[in-house]
Amino acid sequence: MSKYQHLYVVIEHEDGMPLPVSLEMLGEARRLIDGFNKKYSSDEKVVAVVLGHNVRKLCEELIFYGADAVIYADSPELRYRRNLIDTKVISQIARSREVVAEFSDTSEFVKPRYMFFGADSIGRHLSSTVLAELESGLASDINKLVIEDLEIKHEHKTKGQAMMYEKTLEMYRPDFSGFLWTTILCLDNRNPAIEREYHPQACSIIPGVFAPIEPDKSRRGIIVEYVPEFDERDLQVRILDRKIVKSAVDFDSHKAVISFGKGVKDSPEQNIKLVSDLAKEIEAEVGISLPISKKLFPVSQGINSTYMIPDRVIGTSGRKVAPLLYIAVGISGAMQHIAGMKESGFVVAINPDENSPIKDECDVFIRGRMEDVIPLLLEELRKQRPTIQVKK
Amino acid sequence: MATTTKDLNVAVIVKLEPDFSEGNVSYNADGTLNRAETKSILGPHSAIASNAAFYAKVKYGARVAVGTMGPPIAESALQQAQLLCDADELHLYSDRIFAGADTLATAEVLKAGISKVEGGKVDVVFSGHRASDGETGQTGPQTAWKLGYTFLGNVIDYNIDLESRLVRAKRLISLQGFYDIIEEVEAPLPVFISIDPSYNAFFNTVSQRLAFEKYQKEARSRAENYKQFLKVLNTQQLGIDPKLVGLPGSPTIVYKVERIPKAKASRKAEVIDGTNRDQIARVVTNMYEVLEGMVIK
Repeated sequence: MSKYQHLYVVIEHEDGMPLPVSLEMLGEARRLIDGFNKKYSSDEKVVAVVLGHNVRKLCEELIFYGADAVIYADSPELRYRRNLIDTKVISQIARSREVVAEFSDTSEFVKPRYMFFGADSIGRHLSSTVLAELESGLASDINKLVIEDLEIKHEHKTKGQAMMYEKTLEMYRPDFSGFLWTTILCLDNRNPAIEREYHPQACSIIPGVFAPIEPDKSRRGIIVEYVPEFDERDLQVRILDRKIVKSAVDFDSHKAVISFGKGVKDSPEQNIKLVSDLAKEIEAEVGISLPISKKLFPVSQGINSTYMIPDRVIGTSGRKVAPLLYIAVGISGAMQHIAGMKESGFVVAINPDENSPIKDECDVFIRGRMEDVIPLLLEELRKQRPTIQVKK
Repeated sequence: MATTTKDLNVAVIVKLEPDFSEGNVSYNADGTLNRAETKSILGPHSAIASNAAFYAKVKYGARVAVGTMGPPIAESALQQAQLLCDADELHLYSDRIFAGADTLATAEVLKAGISKVEGGKVDVVFSGHRASDGETGQTGPQTAWKLGYTFLGNVIDYNIDLESRLVRAKRLISLQGFYDIIEEVEAPLPVFISIDPSYNAFFNTVSQRLAFEKYQKEARSRAENYKQFLKVLNTQQLGIDPKLVGLPGSPTIVYKVERIPKAKASRKAEVIDGTNRDQIARVVTNMYEVLEGMVIK
């Protein structure tokens, strides 16, 4: 038996309804641990961790989605997410030998081997504070995972010597450009001068990347309750109100979405106006690629506050859309953007560079500068509009 | 100075980042960032955090300290932040051994630095949402945890009751697959606030607007002479265990960086000449067909 066992998945839910990323993480965890157990002839588990109130039904559902065991804490104090309390309860669970004893041999158990969180408003911060408490490594925004025995040569970790690190989780994260993958490893501490051991190996996972498994109602698992202890002082952090808000940007009720990217750069103000005209003509919602939200170009305040906002970002760092018609204007087609639009019906790209990756992701590639193409499109759209309406 | 009664001490942690704006950023031929040719500035999210601290100065007369970890050149981020928040103190945490730190080891330095401000009596720490280059968003909450401060993330608005020492904050939470939520939360000081990109300070009374102008003017003259406000602190001065920072204090390493392989084409595109009116006309017909639901792709 090992000091480190199992893959813990921290589940996010809204009053018992699992967020999609929770089921996606379970799916990937299932695939990884099945491979792990086969490769190392072991019997490690996918363990879902749930905090909430009246969550028993959710726990059962998580087993259908791939969990071998579910550890849950149930209290009215845990109904909504509060970072301080949640961090303490999850850390207690991660260190608890007692709960693990319900489903595996725990004689040497110290901490989980691996741990997953969702890379979203809640999980990003929760993963950070939990791993600060557990004093181990964390990688964010992961979209590929591999478990390997790796030979590592590192100036500090191995003092330049080649050393084996078994069962290491390779955590791949795309960088801001969308063109590079960085693999992050959390490596065991082998320096006796440092009193830390770097487990769990943890990461936050981009929503929408991994596929959940088909739920199987015949799957069986173990559900274990953990009774948390609260510090009275922590309960002074109080949620006074929660209001559901609708974003001013509404991709779902539009049949068409037009997105623009860095290709607007030659004359951003005019080009964004062109995109906006095109959107009005076909009643489309306007999206952007991630770099645009970083306010790359000097434009008027109106354009800036209307278009260059995180709410409009389509892709892994923003929204996922699937309109009937998707028009990508001046977008090169980085992987993160494609992930947000690939389910669209008919895809048109406008781009001067035929080597752009977007060409492989569209049905029609209009080769040309948007300054030239959009005015032509607008003319034709206006010309053809009446005939179509008559046909209807 | 103890923060009894109605004093308020705030700190901001900021970062010097590549300037991604057009004309300043430079990319390599393969689409990756050319760091050598790209200028550095105060990160945009750090700027928003500085604005949030300035709000505390205008509204509550708070004392403001700004801190950053980095090489000597990072003092320019402190200067730019001072211009935004009229900081009373600037702290640069700088030591060769900090290099190569991951978020946990960075948080260790920032914790030590904030503990040095006002004898450790900081009531509110602000940080940005995430850095534009690293983009992990982990350093803020990890620093909060090490300080033992309540962490409030995605904050779009906050107010402080100086009598009861309570902060009330609004947070924007996006539940992917469901909806967005604006949550109002109350917490006793001290707190660590990471500011959402949509934060916008708002001054509604005449006295606040007058204070705003006064401090803005002061900020300009201070930032011109920012060196007078600057303290540079190394490992020893920060009282840090060298084993907890830099490479030794980092559980994670970057194992490899590779180009993301080109995905297999998922669609077969018809290529159209964008200046050919007939071809454009055909595309427009297609588009209308799709929108009217006449063709099922």
